[in-house]
Amino acid sequence: MFSLFYGLWEYLVSKTEFHVLILGIDKAGKTTLLEKLKAQYSSVEGLPPDRIVPTVGLNIGRIETSNSKLVFWDLGGQPGLRSIWEKYYEEAHAVIFVVDASCPSRFEDSKSALEKVLRHEDLHGAPLLVLANKQDLGDAVSAEELARYLDLKKLDERAYTFEGVSGYDGTGIKEIVNWLVDVMERSKRTEMLRVRAGVANSSGA
Amino acid sequence: MGLVFTRLFSSLFGNKEARILVLGLDNAGKTTILYRLQMGEVVSTIPTIGFNVETVQYNNIKFQVWDLGGQTSIRPYWRCYFPNTQAIIYVVDSSDTERLVIAKEEFHAILEEEELKGAVVLIFANKQDLPGALDDAAVTESLELHKIKNRQWSIFKTSAIKGEGLFEGLDWLSNTLKSGGG
Repeated sequence: MFSLFYGLWEYLVSKTEFHVLILGIDKAGKTTLLEKLKAQYSSVEGLPPDRIVPTVGLNIGRIETSNSKLVFWDLGGQPGLRSIWEKYYEEAHAVIFVVDASCPSRFEDSKSALEKVLRHEDLHGAPLLVLANKQDLGDAVSAEELARYLDLKKLDERAYTFEGVSGYDGTGIKEIVNWLVDVMERSKRTEMLRVRAGVANSSGA
Repeated sequence: MGLVFTRLFSSLFGNKEARILVLGLDNAGKTTILYRLQMGEVVSTIPTIGFNVETVQYNNIKFQVWDLGGQTSIRPYWRCYFPNTQAIIYVVDSSDTERLVIAKEEFHAILEEEELKGAVVLIFANKQDLPGALDDAAVTESLELHKIKNRQWSIFKTSAIKGEGLFEGLDWLSNTLKSGGG
């Protein structure tokens, strides 16, 4: 009986946990962005940008907003490492794709990497946030210009947006977290993941 | 009281201590790595029965590094060393492709351990100096590192003999431990 009420209580007060993948080619600024997210939303200081080394593996950041918990998975972006991205797709609620907006010579590389991500069945319906990062640099293109460069097709079936941010000085960080929480709460994919987790739990019990 | 001051002192000057376990199959190169880190030179080693422990000071962190013997018969004793561990360095002989399956199984068994839940994981794809050594992407694949979803991990190509990759790994480790760990 107690456990029944406890379960109900847990259900009522627990915050939903969302998994957000941070992807993008190498040198896009994914880990710097992650450290900034941690610094702004938790008591953890976050590493200063000059100490961040290329990621060869997985970095994790956990933050809490007023009504949800977000777990960020930041994966290394060097060409040889991109093959492991897809192993994390199935459990992701949303995807952040980070682009170095100050480096047009690599937009083509970003475009093909992103198109490959979007084609993957395991990410069906996952909300997509494309970031024109490094807005602190004078020559960075805006989010609108980046959207024109990338010229993505067939985005209709998922929620998506382009935002200009700076993982270095923190511009735009609050806005993207708000956007993510908002769309993830309403997305069909969240519902789908919840049902699947529920099925897995009850069959395991 | 003295302890309080010690703590205050070390938090002011950024000196942290971390307990690190170096694990891996026998002949992966754990002991060579330990002494390369500690003394900066290659020592000739014999198979470890039991353990070696050394302190390595790096990036304001005092790493207490435990190198545990890797032979099948003594692997069950690893768990005696698990409590209070902040990080695991898992060493793989990248050229020993036949035993990568066993290396994978041992590795995932370690990750299941309750007492190591909060530990971050650094993988050394060692013996890169040998012909036929798999690179970091291939070792990632063979060890199925993608199954790790609730703690931070990183892999480095290393050669303990040449001294390559080891301190890059420790850089990652000290950064990760400083920014709050897993």
